[in-house]
Order: sequence, then structure tokens, then C-alpha cells
Amino acid sequence: MPTAIIERTDIPLMPIGEAYDMGRAPDGKPLFDPRIFDSREFARNPYPYYRILRDHYPVYHDKLHNCFYLTRYDDITTAYMDDEGFNTIPKGASNPVLGNTQLELSGVEHRRRRNLYGQHLVGNSLNARIPAIERLASEMIIRFSGSGADEMATENTAGRRTVELGKAFANEFPIRVVCQVLGFPEEAQDKFFYWYYSMMTGLGGSETARQGLEARQDLEDYVAGLVVERRANPTFLCDNDGNSMGEDIISKLSRTQIDGDWLSVEEVTSNIALIVGGGGETTRGAILNMWYLLLSHPEQFAAVRADPSLFQQAIHETLRHSSSIGGQPRHTSYDITMRGVTIPGGSLVNCVDFSANHDDRVFKEPERFDIFRDDLYTGKLIRNGYDAEGKHSHMAFGVGPHLCPGAWISLQESILGSEVLLKHLKNTRMNLDRMPKDINGVTLAPIGGGAIRELWIDFDA
Amino acid sequence: MMATKTELMQLPGTAPGRNGVEIRASLGGRGGFYRSYEVYQRQRVKESTYLINARVFLKPEFLRDPYPALKLMRENYPFYRDWVGNCDWVTLYNDVTSIFVDDANFETRAKAWFYGMPGFGRDLREELPVLWAFASGIDRHVVPIAEELIAGLKRAGAPDLATGVFDRLDTYLLAAVLGLPRDDWDTFARRYRAMMEGWHWHPSREQDGKDAIARLSTYFAPLLDARRAVPRDDLLSALASGELESGPATAEDVVATLLEGDGDTLRGSLINMWGLLLSNPEQLADIRGDPSLAKRAWQEGLRHTTPVLTAKRFARQEVERFGRLIPEGGLVVCSGASGNRDAAIFDDPDRFDVRRKDLCYREPRGQYRADGLPAGIAFGPGRPSRYPAVPEDRPRSLYAITRDAAVAVSNLILAELPGLGLAGAERPEPFCRWPGDLHLYRELPVTF
Ligand code: HEM
Repeated sequence: MPTAIIERTDIPLMPIGEAYDMGRAPDGKPLFDPRIFDSREFARNPYPYYRILRDHYPVYHDKLHNCFYLTRYDDITTAYMDDEGFNTIPKGASNPVLGNTQLELSGVEHRRRRNLYGQHLVGNSLNARIPAIERLASEMIIRFSGSGADEMATENTAGRRTVELGKAFANEFPIRVVCQVLGFPEEAQDKFFYWYYSMMTGLGGSETARQGLEARQDLEDYVAGLVVERRANPTFLCDNDGNSMGEDIISKLSRTQIDGDWLSVEEVTSNIALIVGGGGETTRGAILNMWYLLLSHPEQFAAVRADPSLFQQAIHETLRHSSSIGGQPRHTSYDITMRGVTIPGGSLVNCVDFSANHDDRVFKEPERFDIFRDDLYTGKLIRNGYDAEGKHSHMAFGVGPHLCPGAWISLQESILGSEVLLKHLKNTRMNLDRMPKDINGVTLAPIGGGAIRELWIDFDA
Repeated sequence: MMATKTELMQLPGTAPGRNGVEIRASLGGRGGFYRSYEVYQRQRVKESTYLINARVFLKPEFLRDPYPALKLMRENYPFYRDWVGNCDWVTLYNDVTSIFVDDANFETRAKAWFYGMPGFGRDLREELPVLWAFASGIDRHVVPIAEELIAGLKRAGAPDLATGVFDRLDTYLLAAVLGLPRDDWDTFARRYRAMMEGWHWHPSREQDGKDAIARLSTYFAPLLDARRAVPRDDLLSALASGELESGPATAEDVVATLLEGDGDTLRGSLINMWGLLLSNPEQLADIRGDPSLAKRAWQEGLRHTTPVLTAKRFARQEVERFGRLIPEGGLVVCSGASGNRDAAIFDDPDRFDVRRKDLCYREPRGQYRADGLPAGIAFGPGRPSRYPAVPEDRPRSLYAITRDAAVAVSNLILAELPGLGLAGAERPEPFCRWPGDLHLYRELPVTF
């Protein structure tokens, strides 16, 4: 008689790209263990598991976490485009901290709010702000690359300087850009960084959730005063020549009425949190992941060096290959049957952008990083996605009504920032000794699901 | 003319929906409305639930002893948002029972649905001929089967009350009540157990469970035909007969009926009751002196160490409870085990006490209470009877049937095994083998 025991849940760590064996059905179909989602293995090596879901469980019911997963490019597109069937009521673990925002709205209500400040992140407004973004990037980069900037470098030996690119540049740059368009007061920006990091590490369910909620409350208290001030005296964004381009986002939000009511301080704060939360970590990840991938593919890096306009392709391929956001939650508004599985109304459906971007029904050899691939669309972003001449847009910004409104500005940040980096840093290479290592202590830590933690580079001083 | 309120709310192409929220005309019917987020509360600093990390529910410490975490939730977050499990936990006695009796707002999803086999078979448990055949079958078979298993225990080299008697009792009893040939009982028992353990989430158990369902369906088909031709006095014949209101059962209906019924609670309640008695020898001695206490021990055991820790209910529509808006389809995890240890309901709730005075010892009616006393919350035996008195055309409730069977078996053990006590120095403890599993003593090695 076998002795009953508590089942072990340790999940083995596998070589990157290989899934561990979760067992098989008699017909050979691999089984899928939902405990994987909570594991360290999955955080560092998610793609082979998504492949199993795509190939064998395109609509996967995770009963342990009470949700469904969509993992194929086509199905996710369907869900994102159908904002009636797949609604966005508040649900995510980020909600307590970020608050309710347009992310959680649909239909008319969504469009009204989205239009409030969308204009600042795209088109002519954005073009007019490009010099300011470029200036900011140069200022930040010169701090650690210019002569006399030795104290910024961790190591500074004859002719060689070592920095962590996140700390030196990418962590703060996107937040500063966003603070500018928000019109967040300069003098409070240091506090703002603290609030921002606390909120980001304090999302729901984590041990630091309380800290996140407190930071959010502090931010809200601060914004309360700001709203009153801006309602009376709005501040403006200016182009390079000092011409006003309209109210900055905080002024705009403070002075907006919907159905005859001012937006509440709560809602203004939530929007600020969303814009910074949505634009900080994500763009940081895009920049760092791109540099990591380019530096580990020297021939592609050489091509970009020779022709920096290739950054456009490189950033899109980075976002396809290793986006910094895994996917988006939706809720079914009524029973929906997809691929033979009926998802009851009110179910949480996780649409996995990571997986859509690695769907080999759409992108050949999806695990390969190749800025020259011929099946990825890298042109101007299109709300409804791109699918023509064998090319598809990637899913990193989503698609449909909720398509990331910050996509344009974050692409500009990544490209402009990288161009400035390229200009100032000579002979850039990765500092392998300092790079975080994988579990085995030898190979580099993989990007996994999300952004690379640190990127250590050497360059010629 | 003044527009009425409804007219004002009605935009072109929309219709006023539940709670006055507009529904797109194109969607109509069920759901499909846009809900403003303003109605959803955002968690505030004061509401942060940092004392508990939802990952604990999957950890061995919780599987072994869930009670500290449940207590923490009762005392701090009686309605706890679990981001990992995408659900809300309800842990206070009154809250748990209020949801269990609220069918209008909260639905129980069939185990077949969890298996990804919605619409598999019909659950015929409520058919009168089935109820009668079930009740009379249990009454007839429980003592002979228990006698046989106890006799086996007496012969065993290393007798174990859990694995030797209780692990087999419920399945053998079901097999006998169905009227299966004796030679098939062990195979049936294995498949039944696999089926009952597979619906939760565990991939290999789910696979085994599906396999068992398929095999059981194949197995029952010829038996049903035979019973239709020559009926006997057993549950299968009742299922096969033309007397059922919804028509005679197919093999899949038989399997579905078994699957949806929590037949294995008899096992869980007996194992835990005896695990507790053996760990509290003075109370075991007490019962020996007064066999009428066996019934109380069973009820107190179910209360104190509840085999089914939680039950899932899904909100049928958006509903406000406990100061929170639960969205349509929201999962509420109701912990009966926690409610049973609620100090506002039971004095010194962590103490196992067969003479406890604040536990209702009659079958609860309606709202989990009788004689003004709360009943323990247990799932297998079903919810409290809907009937103020058992109608003449119905057998006694599943609760009463299960209880009487457990009491009969316990009395037999007391009579047959004098000097019963734990073997070895190690004190057994109940545990779940994986999240969602029954919380049970797994082994009870004994001497007598
Ligand atoms: C590489 C960087 C970025 C990535 C990968 C990214 C990704 C996304 C995705 C996938 C969504 C869709 C959410 C959904 O479908 O529910 C989204 C929405 C959003 N993003 Fe971004 N984002 C990035 C940068 C930014 C920036 C720089 C900003 C602000 C300046 C921003 C602000 C927002 C906002 C406000 C939304 C909500 C849109 C809505 O619900 O209508 N994002 N983002």
C-alpha cells in the first residue's frame, strides 16, 4: 500500500527553449500543469510552454487560477477587436494600485477618455516634441559617456568604461519623457520616482502590496493640490521654438468635465499612474531588450551601426521577440465558444501577447531574433493591425480599441535614445562578467517573460 | 411631456438593462453590457491584505494545516481577494452559509463542466425512484459490508482503519447499492476514485479521471440493458426503469449521477471522525460508555476537521455582498472548514469535543440551523433539507442517510474492536495531497 504524501510542486529548471515533461495523454498529447505559471522556471523560460498551449490547448482552461488562456495570434486578435464580447471590467492585480482607468472601460465611455490626451502621444504634437526628447536623451547620455563623467561609470580603466545601461539611462529616461508630457512639476519628480517604483513593486497580491497602495495614496494626495492649481492656471506644452501646443496632460485632465462632472482626483491620479505605469517599465524594457539582443547578435548590430535607420526594424523585432508586457486580461460579456471550448460569461480570459508574437502560424522560426525577417510589419502602426503580403504586425502594443496610445512615443524614445547612444558610445559590447547569470551560474540569464534585469556594457572612453 | 426616467436613460440603439445600465440593442438577452468602472471599488490602504500571501493556498503548509491561514482571513479579511486564484474567499460561518443557500445569485457548476465535458450525461440524483433505491440500498448493505471489511482488518498483519476499512467502504457500498457483480467491485472502486479526484485541475489526475469516465460508461451500458430486461432490487434497475420522469438513464447518465453526487464524503467523514477519536482516547472511551454519542462524534468530527475545505460558487449576475461588488461570473470560494471554526459561532472552535453544547445535533433545516443552534457545514451530505418535515413520498435526506450509515459503521467498530487504539507512537495528522484535495487522515494504524 503506497503511503499518501503531499505532492511536491518543485518544477525543474530546463534548458531555455525546452519544456519539462508534464506527462502525456494516451494519444500522445502533452499534459499541461497550471502550477507552471507560478514557477521560477516559467518566468525565465515561458516560450516552450506557450507553444504547448498554442498547439494543443489554444483555449486553455486553467482551473487552478480560475481563468482561460488564449495563445494564438488569430484568437487574440479576435478577442482584442471584439470589445463587446471581451470586455475590460476591472480585474487585474494592478487595479488596486493603478486604479480604474480607460483600460477598464469599453465603448463610448472608453473613447471619450481615450481622446482626452491621446493627441499628445502621436502625430504632429509628438513630432514637435521630438527635439525635446532628443535633448533629454543627450543630456542623460553625456552624463556617463562624456569626458569628465567618470563617476557615473562603475569601472573606468584605461580606455574602457563600464556601466549598467538601465541605471545609467534606460530606467529613468522614459519616465522623464512621460513626466514632461504630463506636465508633472519638476520639483516633485524625485518623490515621483519613489512613488512610481513603490507602485510598480506593490501590485496586488504581492507582499509589498501595502507599500504600493500607500504610494498610490501619497501620489493622490499630492495630485489633489495639483488639480486645483491647474484647473485655475493650466500649464502648456511647447514645441522647440517655444510655441504652445496646448495644455499638458495633467492640466487637460484637471480641466475636463464628463457628463457635467469634473474628473475626480481619484480618476486623474489613476490616469497619471496608468500613463507612467504603462510607459515606464515597458519602454525601459524595450530599450534594454533591444540592446541586449543586438549585442548578442554582432552581425545584426554591425548592420545597425552601419545604418542606424535599421533601429526601426530592430525595435519592432525586439518587441516581437521579447516584449516587456506579457499580455492583457479580458472578461467575456456572455458565453463565447472558441475552438470548441465554451467560455462562460464573466470569465477572465488572459490574452497572451508573448505567445501571439511567437506563433509560428504567423512568424517563421519565432524564437529566432532577426531584424531582417520578412514576415514582420515594421511600418506605421495601424489600430486594427496589419496583415498583408505575408507580413503581420506584432502584438506587443495590442490591437483594436485599446491599442497602446503610447506606442508611437515609445518607439520614438527607443529609436532616438538608441541613436544618441550609438553616437556617443564607441565600440559598445556586453560585459559578460557582470551580466546576471542563469541558474547554472554560467550562461547569461535569459530575458524570459519581461525585461532584462540589468544590461552591463563596456565602451571605449 | 416629461420624459420618464427610463426614456431618459435610453440612448438610441440601446435598451435599459439591469441596474439601469444600458445594454447594446444588438446584444440583447443575457449580458453584453458595458459597465462603468466607477461602481468597482479600488482597494484602499486600509483594505490592503498584506498579512496573507495568496500563494500560501498552494503551499504544503496550507495543505497540511489550513486552519491558521483561514483564521487569519476570518479575523482580518473575511472577504479576501485572492489575485492568484482570481477569486474571493469567504470564511465566516454566516457568510459561507448565506452563499450556500443563495441559489438565486450563486451557481454551483457541475463537475462535468470542470472536466471540460459540459452536457455530459444527466444528473438524476433528484429523481424519486433513484432516491428511494439509493436510501434502501445503503440501509441494506452498509452493515454487511462494514462487517466484511472489519473482519478483514482483524486478519491483517498491520491493520489500518483508514486504508483497510474506510477507503473501501464507500466504494463497495456504492457498488453494492448499484448492484454490481462482486468481482467488479475493486475495479469500480479504482475508477470511481479516479473520477472523483480528476475534476479539479491536476493534469494527470484529470487524465486518469477522464479515462475512468470513459471506462465506466462502457462498463455500465450492458449492465443497464440487462436490468431493463430483468429488473432487480438495486439502483441500476431504478435508473434503467421507465419510471424516471426524465426518461430512463443511459450509461453516461449513470456516470454523471455518480460524478455529481459526493458519494465519497461518507469515507471522509468517517476517516476524520476516527482520526480525531483515536487522537483523543478519553473521548473514544466516553463514546464506548455511551454509544448514542457516536452520532455526535460524527457531526463534531465533520465540523472540526472538515474533509472538503472549500466549495466554489459562481455569481450568476453582478451582485453586491459583503460591501463589495461581485461581477457576473465571479468565483467565490466558500470555506466551510473555516466557517466551522468561526469563534463567533462555536466556543473554543479548535477543540474537538463530542459533548459540545453549541452544535446542532439534529438535521439542520433551511438555514443551517435547528433548535437555534448552528450545524457544522459539510458538503457531501448535501445542504440542509428544504423540507420542514420529510414528505411521505420521499426517503430521508442524503444528510440523514449518510449520517445513519456512518453511525452504524462506527457502532460496529466499537462493538467489534475492543481496546481500539493507535498503533505506534506517531500521531497521524490530516492533510491534502495537492490543492483542492480532501483534507483527510490518510492512515490510521491501529491495535485492538
Ligand atoms: C514599449 C513600450 C510599451 C508597450 C509594450 C506597451 C504596451 C501596451 C499594451 C499591450 C496596451 C494594451 C492594453 C490592452 O489591450 O488592454 C497598452 C495600453 C496603454 N498604454 Fe502602452 N505600452 C508601451 C508604452 C507606453 C507609453 C510610453 C505610454 C504613455 C506615454 C503608454 C500608455 C498606455 C495607455 C494609457 C494604455 C491604455 C490604452 C487604453 O486602454 O485605451 N504605453 N500598452
